[in-house]
Amino acid sequence: MVSASGNDLAARLMGDMDPRLLEFLKTKVNSFVKWDLVRFFHENPHTTDTAENVARYAGRDPATIAAELEELTENGVLERRQVGNLTVYSLATDEEMRKLIEQFILACEDRQFRVKAIYHIIRGMR
Amino acid sequence: MERMKTGIAGLDTMLRGGFLPQTANLVEGAPGTGKSVLGMQFIHNGIVHYDEPGIILTFETFPRQYYRDALNFGWDFRQLERENRLRILMSSPEVSKADLEQLGGTIERLVEEMGARRILVDSLSHFERLTDDPVELRSLIYSFINGLKREGLTAVLTRESPAILGEGLFADEDENIAFVVDSYILLRYVEMDSTVRRALLVLKLRGSDHAKEIRRFEITSSGIEVMDTFKGREGIMSGSPRRMPEAFIEAFIRHP
Repeated sequence: MVSASGNDLAARLMGDMDPRLLEFLKTKVNSFVKWDLVRFFHENPHTTDTAENVARYAGRDPATIAAELEELTENGVLERRQVGNLTVYSLATDEEMRKLIEQFILACEDRQFRVKAIYHIIRGMR
Repeated sequence: MERMKTGIAGLDTMLRGGFLPQTANLVEGAPGTGKSVLGMQFIHNGIVHYDEPGIILTFETFPRQYYRDALNFGWDFRQLERENRLRILMSSPEVSKADLEQLGGTIERLVEEMGARRILVDSLSHFERLTDDPVELRSLIYSFINGLKREGLTAVLTRESPAILGEGLFADEDENIAFVVDSYILLRYVEMDSTVRRALLVLKLRGSDHAKEIRRFEITSSGIEVMDTFKGREGIMSGSPRRMPEAFIEAFIRHP
Protein backbone atom coordinates (compact mmCIF):
# COMPACT_ATOMS: atom_id res chain seq x y z
CA MET A 1 0.00 0.00 0.00
CA VAL A 2 1.32 3.44 -0.94
CA SER A 3 1.09 6.05 1.81
CA ALA A 4 -0.45 9.48 1.31
CA SER A 5 3.01 11.05 1.55
CA GLY A 6 4.26 8.58 -1.10
CA ASN A 7 1.44 9.68 -3.38
CA ASP A 8 2.33 13.31 -2.75
CA LEU A 9 5.97 12.63 -3.63
CA ALA A 10 4.96 10.87 -6.87
CA ALA A 11 2.66 13.75 -7.75
CA ARG A 12 5.46 16.26 -7.12
CA LEU A 13 7.94 14.31 -9.24
CA MET A 14 5.45 13.80 -12.02
CA GLY A 15 4.42 17.42 -11.87
CA ASP A 16 7.94 18.47 -12.76
CA MET A 17 7.22 19.41 -16.36
CA ASP A 18 6.73 22.54 -18.44
CA PRO A 19 3.51 24.09 -17.02
CA ARG A 20 2.13 24.73 -20.51
CA LEU A 21 2.60 21.09 -21.47
CA LEU A 22 1.15 19.94 -18.15
CA GLU A 23 -1.90 22.10 -18.77
CA PHE A 24 -2.11 20.78 -22.36
CA LEU A 25 -2.02 17.20 -21.06
CA LYS A 26 -4.54 17.73 -18.30
CA THR A 27 -7.08 19.71 -20.26
CA LYS A 28 -6.67 18.69 -23.91
CA VAL A 29 -4.82 15.41 -24.40
CA ASN A 30 -6.37 13.68 -21.42
CA SER A 31 -6.73 10.19 -22.93
CA PHE A 32 -4.51 7.78 -24.81
CA VAL A 33 -6.77 7.91 -27.87
CA LYS A 34 -6.46 11.72 -27.95
CA TRP A 35 -2.69 11.37 -27.63
CA ASP A 36 -2.71 9.05 -30.66
CA LEU A 37 -4.90 11.44 -32.61
CA VAL A 38 -2.75 14.47 -31.82
CA ARG A 39 0.33 12.57 -32.97
CA PHE A 40 -1.46 11.40 -36.12
CA PHE A 41 -2.57 14.90 -37.12
CA HIS A 42 0.86 16.31 -36.29
CA GLU A 43 2.63 13.75 -38.49
CA ASN A 44 0.07 14.15 -41.27
CA PRO A 45 -0.76 17.83 -40.85
CA HIS A 46 -2.92 18.33 -43.94
CA THR A 47 -5.35 15.52 -43.23
CA THR A 48 -9.02 16.35 -43.56
CA ASP A 49 -11.51 13.57 -43.13
CA THR A 50 -14.61 12.20 -41.46
CA ALA A 51 -14.53 10.56 -38.02
CA GLU A 52 -15.12 7.19 -39.66
CA ASN A 53 -12.13 7.54 -41.96
CA VAL A 54 -9.88 8.98 -39.24
CA ALA A 55 -10.82 5.90 -37.18
CA ARG A 56 -9.73 3.73 -40.10
CA TYR A 57 -6.39 5.54 -40.36
CA ALA A 58 -5.89 5.19 -36.61
CA GLY A 59 -7.07 1.58 -36.55
CA ARG A 60 -9.57 2.34 -33.78
CA ASP A 61 -13.29 2.07 -33.09
CA PRO A 62 -15.24 4.78 -35.01
CA ALA A 63 -17.59 5.60 -32.12
CA THR A 64 -14.68 6.18 -29.72
CA ILE A 65 -12.81 8.26 -32.29
CA ALA A 66 -15.89 10.38 -33.04
CA ALA A 67 -16.26 11.33 -29.36
CA GLU A 68 -12.55 12.09 -28.94
CA LEU A 69 -12.42 14.16 -32.14
CA GLU A 70 -15.32 16.22 -30.83
CA GLU A 71 -13.53 16.90 -27.54
CA LEU A 72 -10.29 17.83 -29.32
CA THR A 73 -12.34 20.22 -31.45
CA GLU A 74 -14.01 21.79 -28.40
CA ASN A 75 -10.53 22.29 -26.92
CA GLY A 76 -9.14 23.99 -30.02
CA VAL A 77 -6.68 21.24 -31.02
CA LEU A 78 -8.66 20.33 -34.13
CA GLU A 79 -11.12 22.15 -36.35
CA ARG A 80 -14.42 20.82 -37.60
CA ARG A 81 -16.25 21.92 -40.74
CA GLN A 82 -18.89 20.78 -43.18
CA VAL A 83 -17.88 19.63 -46.66
CA GLY A 84 -21.13 19.01 -48.50
CA ASN A 85 -23.08 16.83 -46.09
CA LEU A 86 -19.94 15.44 -44.45
CA THR A 87 -18.48 16.57 -41.12
CA VAL A 88 -14.69 16.58 -41.38
CA TYR A 89 -11.84 17.23 -38.96
CA SER A 90 -8.41 18.73 -39.48
CA LEU A 91 -5.60 20.15 -37.38
CA ALA A 92 -6.24 23.61 -35.93
CA THR A 93 -4.78 26.37 -38.06
CA ASP A 94 -4.06 28.55 -34.99
CA GLU A 95 -0.27 29.10 -34.91
CA GLU A 96 -0.05 29.06 -31.11
CA MET A 97 -1.86 25.75 -30.93
CA ARG A 98 0.35 24.25 -33.65
CA LYS A 99 3.47 25.36 -31.73
CA LEU A 100 2.12 23.81 -28.54
CA ILE A 101 1.40 20.53 -30.34
CA GLU A 102 4.87 20.56 -31.88
CA GLN A 103 6.37 21.17 -28.43
CA PHE A 104 4.33 18.30 -26.97
CA ILE A 105 5.34 15.85 -29.72
CA LEU A 106 9.01 16.81 -29.38
CA ALA A 107 8.81 16.40 -25.60
CA CYS A 108 7.30 12.93 -26.11
CA GLU A 109 10.59 11.79 -27.64
CA ASP A 110 11.97 11.82 -24.10
CA ARG A 111 11.14 8.66 -22.12
CA GLN A 112 10.91 10.51 -18.79
CA PHE A 113 8.40 12.92 -20.26
CA ARG A 114 6.33 10.02 -21.63
CA VAL A 115 6.28 8.33 -18.23
CA LYS A 116 5.04 11.55 -16.63
CA ALA A 117 2.47 12.06 -19.38
CA ILE A 118 1.14 8.52 -18.91
CA TYR A 119 0.92 9.13 -15.16
CA HIS A 120 -1.16 12.27 -15.64
CA ILE A 121 -3.47 10.66 -18.15
CA ILE A 122 -4.11 7.67 -15.89
CA ARG A 123 -4.70 9.99 -12.91
CA GLY A 124 -7.12 12.04 -14.97
CA MET A 125 -9.03 8.92 -16.00
CA ARG A 126 -9.73 7.84 -12.37
CA MET B 1 1.57 23.10 -78.16
CA GLU B 2 2.21 23.68 -74.45
CA ARG B 3 3.24 20.59 -72.51
CA MET B 4 3.53 19.77 -68.82
CA LYS B 5 6.86 18.01 -68.72
CA THR B 6 7.21 15.11 -66.32
CA GLY B 7 10.96 15.74 -66.22
CA ILE B 8 11.46 12.01 -66.78
CA ALA B 9 13.54 12.17 -69.95
CA GLY B 10 12.48 8.99 -71.70
CA LEU B 11 8.85 9.45 -70.74
CA ASP B 12 8.62 13.01 -72.05
CA THR B 13 10.02 11.75 -75.35
CA MET B 14 7.32 9.07 -75.47
CA LEU B 15 4.69 11.73 -74.69
CA ARG B 16 6.12 14.03 -77.41
CA GLY B 17 7.10 16.58 -74.81
CA GLY B 18 4.92 15.83 -71.80
CA PHE B 19 1.27 15.75 -70.75
CA LEU B 20 -1.15 18.24 -72.20
CA PRO B 21 -2.15 20.97 -69.71
CA GLN B 22 -5.32 20.51 -67.64
CA THR B 23 -5.60 16.84 -68.41
CA ALA B 24 -6.11 13.70 -66.35
CA ASN B 25 -3.37 11.15 -66.85
CA LEU B 26 -3.79 7.64 -65.54
CA VAL B 27 -0.79 5.57 -64.47
CA GLU B 28 -1.79 1.98 -63.85
CA GLY B 29 0.26 -0.88 -62.55
CA ALA B 30 0.68 -3.68 -60.05
CA PRO B 31 1.95 -2.95 -56.53
CA GLY B 32 5.57 -1.86 -56.57
CA THR B 33 5.77 -1.09 -60.28
CA GLY B 34 6.47 2.58 -59.54
CA LYS B 35 3.15 4.40 -59.97
CA SER B 36 3.56 6.59 -56.91
CA VAL B 37 7.24 7.22 -57.68
CA LEU B 38 6.32 8.39 -61.17
CA GLY B 39 3.64 10.64 -59.68
CA MET B 40 5.96 12.05 -57.01
CA GLN B 41 8.61 12.69 -59.66
CA PHE B 42 6.07 14.54 -61.80
CA ILE B 43 5.21 16.73 -58.81
CA HIS B 44 8.80 17.23 -57.65
CA ASN B 45 10.16 18.07 -61.10
CA GLY B 46 7.25 20.42 -61.70
CA ILE B 47 8.08 22.39 -58.56
CA VAL B 48 11.87 22.35 -58.82
CA HIS B 49 12.49 22.52 -62.57
CA TYR B 50 9.40 24.20 -64.01
CA ASP B 51 8.20 26.42 -61.13
CA GLU B 52 4.82 24.72 -61.06
CA PRO B 53 3.68 24.13 -57.47
CA GLY B 54 1.94 20.86 -56.79
CA ILE B 55 -0.48 18.97 -54.58
CA ILE B 56 -0.37 15.33 -53.58
CA LEU B 57 -3.75 13.96 -52.59
CA THR B 58 -3.44 10.61 -50.88
CA PHE B 59 -6.32 8.34 -49.93
CA GLU B 60 -4.35 5.70 -48.08
CA THR B 61 -0.60 6.20 -47.81
CA PHE B 62 0.17 8.50 -44.89
CA PRO B 63 1.88 11.79 -45.79
CA ARG B 64 4.75 10.94 -43.43
CA GLN B 65 5.48 7.99 -45.74
CA TYR B 66 5.71 10.31 -48.74
CA TYR B 67 8.15 12.54 -46.84
CA ARG B 68 10.30 9.50 -46.09
CA ASP B 69 10.04 7.84 -49.53
CA ALA B 70 10.74 11.12 -51.33
CA LEU B 71 13.88 11.67 -49.28
CA ASN B 72 15.19 8.33 -50.57
CA PHE B 73 15.27 9.95 -54.02
CA GLY B 74 16.76 13.17 -52.67
CA TRP B 75 13.47 15.07 -52.80
CA ASP B 76 12.81 17.08 -49.63
CA PHE B 77 9.02 17.30 -49.59
CA ARG B 78 8.92 18.77 -46.06
CA GLN B 79 11.09 21.67 -47.22
CA LEU B 80 8.93 22.20 -50.31
CA GLU B 81 5.88 22.32 -48.02
CA ARG B 82 7.59 24.91 -45.82
CA GLU B 83 8.26 26.94 -48.97
CA ASN B 84 4.54 26.69 -49.79
CA ARG B 85 5.23 25.03 -53.14
CA LEU B 86 3.87 21.61 -52.19
CA ARG B 87 0.99 20.38 -50.09
CA ILE B 88 0.40 16.73 -49.22
CA LEU B 89 -3.27 16.29 -48.38
CA MET B 90 -4.70 13.16 -46.84
CA SER B 91 -8.38 12.57 -47.24
CA SER B 92 -10.90 10.15 -48.68
CA PRO B 93 -12.50 10.07 -52.13
CA GLU B 94 -15.90 11.13 -50.76
CA VAL B 95 -14.50 14.14 -48.89
CA SER B 96 -12.23 15.18 -51.78
CA LYS B 97 -15.06 14.97 -54.26
CA ALA B 98 -17.39 16.98 -52.01
CA ASP B 99 -14.56 19.49 -51.42
CA LEU B 100 -14.11 20.02 -55.16
CA GLU B 101 -17.84 20.43 -55.67
CA GLN B 102 -18.21 23.29 -53.18
CA LEU B 103 -17.01 26.85 -53.60
CA GLY B 104 -13.85 27.70 -51.69
CA GLY B 105 -12.83 24.13 -50.98
CA THR B 106 -9.30 23.15 -49.95
CA ILE B 107 -8.07 22.33 -53.47
CA GLU B 108 -9.52 25.53 -54.91
CA ARG B 109 -7.89 27.52 -52.09
CA LEU B 110 -4.51 25.85 -52.68
CA VAL B 111 -4.69 26.62 -56.39
CA GLU B 112 -5.25 30.29 -55.51
CA GLU B 113 -2.80 30.55 -52.62
CA MET B 114 0.07 28.38 -53.90
CA GLY B 115 -0.56 28.72 -57.61
CA ALA B 116 -0.72 24.91 -57.78
CA ARG B 117 -0.67 23.60 -61.34
CA ARG B 118 -0.11 19.89 -60.81
CA ILE B 119 -1.75 17.24 -58.68
CA LEU B 120 -1.02 13.60 -57.94
CA VAL B 121 -4.07 11.60 -56.86
CA ASP B 122 -2.94 8.37 -55.23
CA SER B 123 -4.95 6.35 -55.93
CA LEU B 124 -8.09 6.38 -58.01
CA SER B 125 -8.72 2.77 -57.00
CA HIS B 126 -10.20 4.01 -53.72
CA PHE B 127 -13.21 5.43 -55.54
CA GLU B 128 -14.19 1.82 -56.12
CA ARG B 129 -15.26 1.47 -52.49
CA LEU B 130 -17.90 4.17 -52.97
CA THR B 131 -20.03 2.07 -55.30
CA ASP B 132 -20.32 -1.37 -56.86
CA ASP B 133 -22.06 0.05 -59.91
CA PRO B 134 -19.57 0.57 -62.78
CA VAL B 135 -21.74 3.24 -64.39
CA GLU B 136 -21.96 5.23 -61.16
CA LEU B 137 -18.22 4.76 -60.59
CA ARG B 138 -17.44 6.15 -64.02
CA SER B 139 -19.72 9.11 -63.32
CA LEU B 140 -18.07 9.77 -59.91
CA ILE B 141 -14.58 9.69 -61.39
CA TYR B 142 -15.62 11.76 -64.40
CA SER B 143 -17.03 14.46 -62.12
CA PHE B 144 -13.94 14.39 -59.88
CA ILE B 145 -11.59 14.70 -62.87
CA ASN B 146 -13.61 17.59 -64.30
CA GLY B 147 -13.34 19.36 -60.94
CA LEU B 148 -9.54 19.07 -61.10
CA LYS B 149 -9.47 20.35 -64.68
CA ARG B 150 -11.77 23.26 -63.78
CA GLU B 151 -9.16 24.33 -61.23
CA GLY B 152 -6.55 24.33 -64.00
CA LEU B 153 -4.69 21.33 -62.64
CA THR B 154 -2.84 18.72 -64.66
CA ALA B 155 -3.34 15.47 -62.84
CA VAL B 156 -1.52 12.20 -62.56
CA LEU B 157 -3.92 9.61 -61.22
CA THR B 158 -2.58 6.27 -60.11
CA ARG B 159 -4.58 3.07 -60.24
CA GLU B 160 -3.73 -0.33 -58.87
CA SER B 161 -3.83 -3.32 -61.15
CA PRO B 162 -4.31 -6.75 -59.64
CA ALA B 163 -2.32 -8.31 -62.49
CA ILE B 164 1.25 -8.85 -61.37
CA LEU B 165 2.61 -10.27 -64.62
CA GLY B 166 0.10 -9.29 -67.23
CA GLU B 167 -2.62 -11.87 -66.59
CA GLY B 168 -6.10 -10.38 -67.00
CA LEU B 169 -4.59 -7.38 -68.71
CA PHE B 170 -7.81 -5.46 -69.18
CA ALA B 171 -10.93 -5.82 -67.09
CA ASP B 172 -14.28 -4.19 -67.93
CA GLU B 173 -13.72 -1.42 -65.39
CA ASP B 174 -10.38 -0.58 -67.08
CA GLU B 175 -12.29 0.35 -70.23
CA ASN B 176 -14.65 2.53 -68.20
CA ILE B 177 -11.79 4.47 -66.63
CA ALA B 178 -9.78 4.61 -69.87
CA PHE B 179 -12.57 6.59 -71.53
CA VAL B 180 -12.65 9.35 -68.92
CA VAL B 181 -8.91 10.02 -68.76
CA ASP B 182 -6.81 11.84 -71.34
CA SER B 183 -3.80 9.59 -71.21
CA TYR B 184 -3.23 6.07 -70.05
CA ILE B 185 0.17 4.73 -69.06
CA LEU B 186 0.65 1.08 -68.18
CA LEU B 187 3.45 -0.12 -65.92
CA ARG B 188 4.09 -3.85 -65.92
CA TYR B 189 6.43 -6.41 -64.48
CA VAL B 190 8.06 -8.56 -67.15
CA GLU B 191 9.72 -11.89 -66.52
CA MET B 192 12.79 -12.25 -68.70
CA ASP B 193 15.78 -14.57 -68.35
CA SER B 194 14.78 -15.42 -64.75
CA THR B 195 14.69 -11.74 -63.83
CA VAL B 196 11.72 -9.48 -63.21
CA ARG B 197 12.01 -6.21 -65.09
CA ARG B 198 9.70 -3.29 -65.51
CA ALA B 199 7.98 -2.18 -68.72
CA LEU B 200 6.14 1.03 -69.60
CA LEU B 201 3.66 1.67 -72.38
CA VAL B 202 1.78 4.82 -73.31
CA LEU B 203 -1.50 3.29 -74.35
CA LYS B 204 -3.36 6.50 -75.05
CA LEU B 205 -2.69 10.23 -75.29
CA ARG B 206 -5.79 12.13 -76.29
CA GLY B 207 -5.14 14.99 -78.70
CA SER B 208 -1.57 14.07 -79.49
CA ASP B 209 0.69 11.54 -81.12
CA HIS B 210 2.73 9.39 -78.75
CA ALA B 211 5.29 6.61 -78.87
CA LYS B 212 3.77 3.18 -79.34
CA GLU B 213 6.74 1.09 -78.31
CA ILE B 214 7.09 -0.65 -74.98
CA ARG B 215 10.07 0.69 -73.06
CA ARG B 216 11.96 -0.81 -70.15
CA PHE B 217 12.39 1.38 -67.09
CA GLU B 218 14.12 1.24 -63.74
CA ILE B 219 13.62 2.88 -60.39
CA THR B 220 17.01 4.33 -59.53
CA SER B 221 18.25 6.37 -56.57
CA SER B 222 17.12 9.49 -58.42
CA GLY B 223 13.72 8.23 -59.52
CA ILE B 224 12.36 6.59 -62.63
CA GLU B 225 14.58 6.26 -65.69
CA VAL B 226 12.91 5.21 -68.92
CA MET B 227 15.28 3.31 -71.15
CA ASP B 228 15.22 1.62 -74.54
CA THR B 229 12.77 -0.91 -75.96
CA PHE B 230 12.78 -4.66 -75.39
CA LYS B 231 14.60 -5.62 -78.57
CA GLY B 232 13.94 -9.01 -80.13
CA ARG B 233 11.05 -9.81 -77.80
CA GLU B 234 7.33 -9.82 -78.11
CA GLY B 235 4.43 -10.39 -75.75
CA ILE B 236 6.00 -7.96 -73.27
CA MET B 237 2.73 -6.79 -71.72
CA SER B 238 1.64 -10.39 -71.17
CA GLY B 239 4.37 -10.44 -68.53
CA SER B 240 6.16 -13.40 -70.16
CA PRO B 241 7.78 -12.17 -73.36
CA ARG B 242 9.14 -14.55 -75.97
CA ARG B 243 12.09 -14.12 -78.25
CA MET B 244 10.95 -13.18 -81.75
CA PRO B 245 11.98 -16.47 -83.45
CA GLU B 246 10.01 -18.45 -80.86
CA ALA B 247 7.01 -16.22 -81.42
CA PHE B 248 7.41 -16.63 -85.18
CA ILE B 249 7.49 -20.42 -84.90
CA GLU B 250 4.48 -20.42 -82.61
CA ALA B 251 2.50 -18.14 -84.89
CA PHE B 252 3.35 -19.64 -88.27
CA ILE B 253 4.43 -23.24 -87.73
CA ARG B 254 2.83 -24.67 -84.59
CA HIS B 255 -0.45 -22.83 -85.15
CA PRO B 256 -0.73 -22.32 -88.89
